[in-house]
Amino acid sequence: MVNETMAVRPRKIKLSTSSKVFYVVCYSVISLIALSCLIPFIVLISGSFTSEQYIRFHGYSILPKDFSTQAYQIIFKNPMTILHAYGVSIFITLIGTAMGLLLITMTAYVISRKDFKYRNVLSFFFYFTTLFNGGMVSTYIYYIQYLHLKDSLLALILPGVFNVFYLLIMRSFVSVIPTALIESAKIDGAGEYRIFFQIIWPLLKPGMATVALFLALGYWNDWYNAMLYINSDSKYPLQYMLYNMLQKTQALAQIAGQAGIQVADLPSSSLKLAMAVVATGPIILVYPFVQKFFVKGITIGSVKG
Amino acid sequence: MGQNLMRNHLRNFGQEVKKNHALFIMVLPAIIAIVVLAYLPMAGLVLAFKNYRFNLGIFGSPWNGLENFRYLFSSGTGWLITKNTILYNLLNLITSQFLAIIIAVFITEIKNKLFKKVSQSLIFLPYFISWVIVGTFVYAIFNYETGMLNSAIKSMGGESVNVYSMPGIWPWIICLFNAWKWCGYNSVIYIAAITGVDAEIYEAADIDGATIFKRIRYITLPCIKPTVITMLLLQVGRVLRGDFEMFYQIVGNNGQLFNATDVIDTYVFRSLLQNANLGMNAAASFYQSLLCFIIIMIVNAVVKRIDSDYALF
Amino acid sequence: MRKRLLSMTLVFTMAVSMLAGCGKASSSDSKATPTGTSVEATEDASATAKLDTSEEVNLVMYVVGDRPAGQDEVDENFNKIIKDKLNCTLTVNWIPWSDFRNKYPLLFSSGEEFDLAYSATWLNFSSLAQQGAFMSLDELWPTYAPKNFARQSESALKQATVNGHYYTVPTLLATYSAYGPVYRTDIMGGTDWAGKMETFQDVEEYCDIVKATHQEMQPLDIYSSGSEWDDTYMYSLGYRSSKGSTNDFLFFDPSQKNPKLFTYYECAQTGDFLEIMNRWNQKGFFSKSALSDTDSTQLQNGKAAMKTHNLDKLADYSRTNPDYKMEYSNFVKNVSHLPYTQDCMVISNTSKNPERAMALWDLLTSDRDVYDAFFYGVLGTTYTLNDKGEYSITDTDLYSPSGMGAVRTTEFNRNAVGTPESYDTWKQTFEDNIASNDTAEKYAGFVLDTSNIATEYAACQSVHQQYWWPLELGYSDAKTGLAEYQKQMEAAGIEKVRVEVQKQLDAYVAGLNK
Repeated sequence: MVNETMAVRPRKIKLSTSSKVFYVVCYSVISLIALSCLIPFIVLISGSFTSEQYIRFHGYSILPKDFSTQAYQIIFKNPMTILHAYGVSIFITLIGTAMGLLLITMTAYVISRKDFKYRNVLSFFFYFTTLFNGGMVSTYIYYIQYLHLKDSLLALILPGVFNVFYLLIMRSFVSVIPTALIESAKIDGAGEYRIFFQIIWPLLKPGMATVALFLALGYWNDWYNAMLYINSDSKYPLQYMLYNMLQKTQALAQIAGQAGIQVADLPSSSLKLAMAVVATGPIILVYPFVQKFFVKGITIGSVKG
Repeated sequence: MGQNLMRNHLRNFGQEVKKNHALFIMVLPAIIAIVVLAYLPMAGLVLAFKNYRFNLGIFGSPWNGLENFRYLFSSGTGWLITKNTILYNLLNLITSQFLAIIIAVFITEIKNKLFKKVSQSLIFLPYFISWVIVGTFVYAIFNYETGMLNSAIKSMGGESVNVYSMPGIWPWIICLFNAWKWCGYNSVIYIAAITGVDAEIYEAADIDGATIFKRIRYITLPCIKPTVITMLLLQVGRVLRGDFEMFYQIVGNNGQLFNATDVIDTYVFRSLLQNANLGMNAAASFYQSLLCFIIIMIVNAVVKRIDSDYALF
Repeated sequence: MRKRLLSMTLVFTMAVSMLAGCGKASSSDSKATPTGTSVEATEDASATAKLDTSEEVNLVMYVVGDRPAGQDEVDENFNKIIKDKLNCTLTVNWIPWSDFRNKYPLLFSSGEEFDLAYSATWLNFSSLAQQGAFMSLDELWPTYAPKNFARQSESALKQATVNGHYYTVPTLLATYSAYGPVYRTDIMGGTDWAGKMETFQDVEEYCDIVKATHQEMQPLDIYSSGSEWDDTYMYSLGYRSSKGSTNDFLFFDPSQKNPKLFTYYECAQTGDFLEIMNRWNQKGFFSKSALSDTDSTQLQNGKAAMKTHNLDKLADYSRTNPDYKMEYSNFVKNVSHLPYTQDCMVISNTSKNPERAMALWDLLTSDRDVYDAFFYGVLGTTYTLNDKGEYSITDTDLYSPSGMGAVRTTEFNRNAVGTPESYDTWKQTFEDNIASNDTAEKYAGFVLDTSNIATEYAACQSVHQQYWWPLELGYSDAKTGLAEYQKQMEAAGIEKVRVEVQKQLDAYVAGLNK
């Protein structure tokens, strides 16, 4: 059709000087930012492979100066713990993201429909919960006593499954889709579910990819719910283990040895960095995977034809 | 009279449901979820006004009016921490969103696929580094004796600078680190919005011979306007909430910097460290929520006046 | 398309039902344990014989710490022993170090059923007690733990009292308010150090030598938890803090008949102190960015040479770094016992078997074998004893001493292998000091009640951290900084606090003189 032939035509237009300058600026600014984001991460990784002695006296560096895998050996001394944690993290991320994505997309679609009379009321109803919340004590009692979710994986999934911020972001994506599309589909006799799943859904790829990414990241990085509700060793997600390690030092430092009991050895700097690497692991690969959904030029026109 | 009004409302509601019953069903799970997960536990808000007794529970404890709020406002601290919280959030909001938009526009303009993909992934990395670790990096850079900054200055023949005793510079340091941490995350939204733009429009612009600048100015930016406004509004709605971890890890217990870097969350944390008063904690949270509520209601109403499509609700 | 929708819905519902099942299964485990028969509480000391142990009961105890990997063995062994003696078992739940700040208060507000818990001053024992978090022990304690009750000192009992009732069983382990430098002597080899460590001047000489001979070190270990040299200074002058611990802002002189409270800016010697600290700052004895440094292990790691703290740090460092040849010096003029509520045991309001729990506690603190089995574990497997009775944990990856520090008593507490001889000598010296000079000891029972001044006290605490901590390290100018500190304290309400605390102090003194 019209668009396809146009997309195939090769670009032979010569670039003006100002365009060239623009591209130079683009590439250099992005390179600079990307480098400033990469270097600390490299320092983190190399720190995890450096001996503790070296870090204490010489600080961090870009390349591991005194190479040592001791930190990783300590972490993987009991591989079952890490494997369980990976399992829990992956499980709640997948389930939570799937549930959340469906819920959020469907709801965002409904509240973006101009012909839905209560869309503003509902939006406010949802948004209000981001302003006021019952607080840690009340929520904790509620989850434990009334929902009976103590030590349950559901307690790790439910709190984040319907995130109102993502809902409103998704709504802004949905609102770009022209209402004419929906109207013409209705004229053709399509039902609401069919319109949603067959027409709207495919057009929302970038939006859904974004929200799916955010949901996945949110679930992967969550330690708070695990801290509150989980007690069994086998149900702790990866990020909680990292949090445990990082905060232990802080907590003990804060009480400044007031505790009369002997405190165990504190995790070393390189151990903390190694745990950070292990806990981050696979989630870094999710973003490149999601990027392929950011396809420029959704051909809405083709549907019109 | 009142009864008629009620009946009318119910009848209108009934008609609406009949007209759009599929939509109502589609939105029902979300309503149930939000009521069960968010509204029911909200009853705990009363804790802010109670003299909490552990053996009586939240609802059995006696009321004590606004007593729990007093510690927030003693000796002028209330104004200082509120001001700091709002200013930091506005500063961070503007810089991080601005940076994210620039990154998004630049990245979508770049043609080289490999460069695009790699740089996008790299820019996302800071998000994965927790503030605890960032805090140790900040200390490694700015500490007086062995920090990277002072090492660099000394190697160039200068004198060491004691950054930790210069409160004025820290808002900018915090702003910088905040922008650095979130630039990747925020830019994703804008990249997705830009790539959602109808390809036809771009092709038409090319045919008309539009330059890059014209294209960005008249197509790209306007098309992501709804997303930008939504993001700004969402951030404004959180203008009284501070990122506790960020402030606590970067500043630590350095009292010299508190006047410039104290936000509500860090002040509350320090005040209640040795006093396990749950009511006072809840009061601080309620104060933040109430102010956020008032602010967003006003801002949203203003935006609605300008263009009702862009308002949050 | 429809098939995809169908399969997704199936996955959705399967996931939800599976997880709901998970939730239900675990909640049924937390059902209430069967209640033991309640026994009439009397003052009779032989009431332990009245304790009805006919029904087996499971007691639940909460401690703070990271659960060691091999703890199961210890628990199993211990439960065998107490099943015999009291027909009960004990489940110990551990609140990890990273979570205690949030989870500890939650424990008492969530209505969860448990019996015993560890508490301490750093767990805000008095503030929680004032808010009704714990069960009153007025009758339980003397009735079901009479041996423990009889051994408590008067000041311990006073410390356990909040609003006229007993809310905790303090530890029976004596600890001392002695404070002073804990320092390495191995690095002094080959220098002309005199070996004296009795005054601040001596500290300075020591640090000068360290600075000259070991450039990579900073002599004093100070980090983001603040400096304790100010407290050390005040204690060395004979002053006592109003709340009985470090980081205080109100002091008094216990040698006076009717002591009056004063702040740092009203103390004549503060100027001298600030001068000293300023000089130390200039000389580089500690980092100029110390308050943002989160590294609490400077001394162990060889980055610092000296720290000011209590005697237990000497034992700790000697054990972990024997080659440092750590030594200790006490700067406190009048030593007293530290509050026994440093480690204490509380019983929850939700406990169904407080009598049995209390009886267990009596057993733990009076029966050597039961204590060892609980605190150290299985002799030969988890720990070993040398001929001096010092213990050593066999595998520190798997085992560690119990997190319930409150169970230690002066008689039962064992030193760890590697504790220097001087440790016990010092303790004996302190006991002798206290016996002959009760100037400070008579105030050991004074417990500050901040419930009437909660707001002002919190504000003063905050101001103290913000303005005094940098000032005492010489980061801000001594004169203007002190004036600013005074201004801010007055604005925070120090006068109201002072009036209230003075009132309580006067009442306490009146009680002493009766």
